[in-house]
Amino acid sequence: MRFRKPWVTVVSVAVAIIAAACGGTSSDNNNSANQTGTLTVWLMNGSAPQTVIDQVNADFKTKYPNVTVKVEIQQWGDIGTKLDTAFGGSTPPDVVELGNTLVAKYAAAGALEDITGKKANFDNSSTWLQSLTDSCTQSSKLYCVPYYAGSRAIIYRKDFFASAGVTPPDSMDGLLTAGQKLMTAHRSDASFSALYYPGKYWYAALPFVWDFGGDIATQSGGKWQGSLSSSQAQQGLTTLNTLVSSLSRADKNGDEAKQDAAFAQGHVAMIIANGWEVGVILDPKAGNPALKDQLGAFPIPSHTSGQTAPVFLGGSDLGVAARSKHQDLANAWIATLTGNKHMADMATVGGVIPNTTSMLNLGTGINTTFYNAAKNSKFVPNSQNWASVENANVLPDMLVKIFTKQQNIADATKAASDRITTILNGGG
Amino acid sequence: MGVAITTPDLEPAPTRPGPLRTRLLPYGLVTPSVAVIGGILAFPLGMLVWLSLQHYGLRELIAHQGEWVWLDNYRAILVDPLFRQVIFRSLAFTFACVVLTVVLSTLIALLLLRVRRAVRVIVMSALVFVWATPVIVTVDIWQWMFDYEFGVINYLLTQLHVGNFIHHNWFDNPLQGWGVLVVVAVWGAIPFVTITVFAGLLQVPGELLDAAQVDGAGGWQRFRFVTAPMLKPIFLIATCLSTIWDFGIFNQPYVLLNQRPSSDYYTIAIYSYRESFGVSQYGLGATIAVLMVIVLVVVTFLYVRETLKVAEIQ
Repeated sequence: MRFRKPWVTVVSVAVAIIAAACGGTSSDNNNSANQTGTLTVWLMNGSAPQTVIDQVNADFKTKYPNVTVKVEIQQWGDIGTKLDTAFGGSTPPDVVELGNTLVAKYAAAGALEDITGKKANFDNSSTWLQSLTDSCTQSSKLYCVPYYAGSRAIIYRKDFFASAGVTPPDSMDGLLTAGQKLMTAHRSDASFSALYYPGKYWYAALPFVWDFGGDIATQSGGKWQGSLSSSQAQQGLTTLNTLVSSLSRADKNGDEAKQDAAFAQGHVAMIIANGWEVGVILDPKAGNPALKDQLGAFPIPSHTSGQTAPVFLGGSDLGVAARSKHQDLANAWIATLTGNKHMADMATVGGVIPNTTSMLNLGTGINTTFYNAAKNSKFVPNSQNWASVENANVLPDMLVKIFTKQQNIADATKAASDRITTILNGGG
Repeated sequence: MGVAITTPDLEPAPTRPGPLRTRLLPYGLVTPSVAVIGGILAFPLGMLVWLSLQHYGLRELIAHQGEWVWLDNYRAILVDPLFRQVIFRSLAFTFACVVLTVVLSTLIALLLLRVRRAVRVIVMSALVFVWATPVIVTVDIWQWMFDYEFGVINYLLTQLHVGNFIHHNWFDNPLQGWGVLVVVAVWGAIPFVTITVFAGLLQVPGELLDAAQVDGAGGWQRFRFVTAPMLKPIFLIATCLSTIWDFGIFNQPYVLLNQRPSSDYYTIAIYSYRESFGVSQYGLGATIAVLMVIVLVVVTFLYVRETLKVAEIQ
């Protein structure tokens, strides 16, 4: 035994070193200073300003000095592909920002950690925005933490409105009349759009469907039924089609990615946009800061005079990968970002709608309009198959067919409705 | 590109078997390439076939465990009307691209024989430049050329009084849109084929052409009866490779249409990608990919058989 003793010591020291190096969470969970590892975080492009991320990481570092946080910014364009492959692999990112329409798909497939029991660890969890909480919930279990929301309103040029003698309308008819006056006032400008509406912009089409009482799909007895072909939905789309054909010179086959740049170029009077797009329009590099005093916003009006149309509540949630080896650290990082301090920064610096009703008073100036719009908001069908409807481009394809007159509204909505029924009920 | 026009006369193979080492040597030499091809082609292809026989959605992807359904995916795809449209479209697109590529490349190559050396160097450099530029970069430039609002083509056509092309969307009408895609694909394919054909033209003996001219053959006849037959192997190779590239085209339509092509613009590769990553039906996506490989194998088999025939004759 005398000869073996040094070996035992060497081996046990080696084991201890290896354990320390590999183990993300040491056996003593309470002592955060002892925890080591690397936490990988995927945030989406444009979600949190870099200053906020830096502060979150600094705060996290004081609590977990031996943990390295790697924040990787992802692009929205093909995020579905990246998420599929990342979750399918054996080392997915630990924290993932997910668009609120994508959560159901990944939660149902078992990609996300069930954090129902940890809900109380997050600030404001009792006042989270209902719609975001719903997007995180499946079969009464919580799979993510609401992060922030966005809702759309109409951004307009005050100077154009003044010179054409119109004021922000309070009905859809009023919107058309105001738009026509703007078109007349700018008839010498062949590029002018009173309302710049790219054909594939489906988020902005939903308020019209909802305002007339239509919906994308309804659920009864566990079965989904696409309902865009209902007479209410068709009425909404007919109204939108009239607006687009008389007021928009935007690409009927294009998407909304370029609308802020187009607005900044000065040939556009109105766009339907998120609050944060004001920042893009005024951006010194991509936009035109000189428009600062000319920008105003008003809610998308209802067809009923004096009311507003329900808007789509977009937003993001933060989830923890089921295969993450650092789930506790991941949840702690999310709690830091969504905690009171940094959530307030997200609202004031980032210009997004915070995840809690207790902070809805933080909207100032032009942002107030967008904050208020969130109060009358709706969501897409909460189904694990909804993401497939999005990825199959069902709604953009339908809108393009309508706006380019390749199909009439009845046929286009029927085709889209049938496809949505099939996909939501699990057929590809 | 080194495509030999004529195979040198080979010594007849020795009839007496050599020692074992000598006999095993060829196998030893070929083993590394077989291993590499097996690793990077056969293995993924095998995986693809294996995947195409399973129901493999997102849940299965995450659990690493598919559900065996044998030929159900193939049945589903073969009755899918969209799949038939996509196959037809891909074949028509491939045919148009290959014909245009080979014809235009041959014309440019013939022209290169006639021009002054300086011009030849300039044209060749331009061709190599086109060939060397990454496809994503070139497609981005093409996207700007055909852009709805800021497009150069729309501006030029309007300035030249061809018509009012301000705010003309080239992809509203699928026929026009596919025309644009053909232009972009052919433009990218011409350099390789031109340089290959040009290299072949340099090997056509001048005496033969002179003799034909003395016998009274015109320019077309000299091409038709002297040059073309000698270039047949090159044409076969160029056609075969172009077919493979054009049939599997993905980047050009995908990038040109902002990564969200409507179903009117699905090529077979995009359709497979959409089924896999768009609606998370990896089994169906794999099935489409396997069918695509089968179609290509059939088409290329015909070319390869022709090529072998030519080689035997020579």
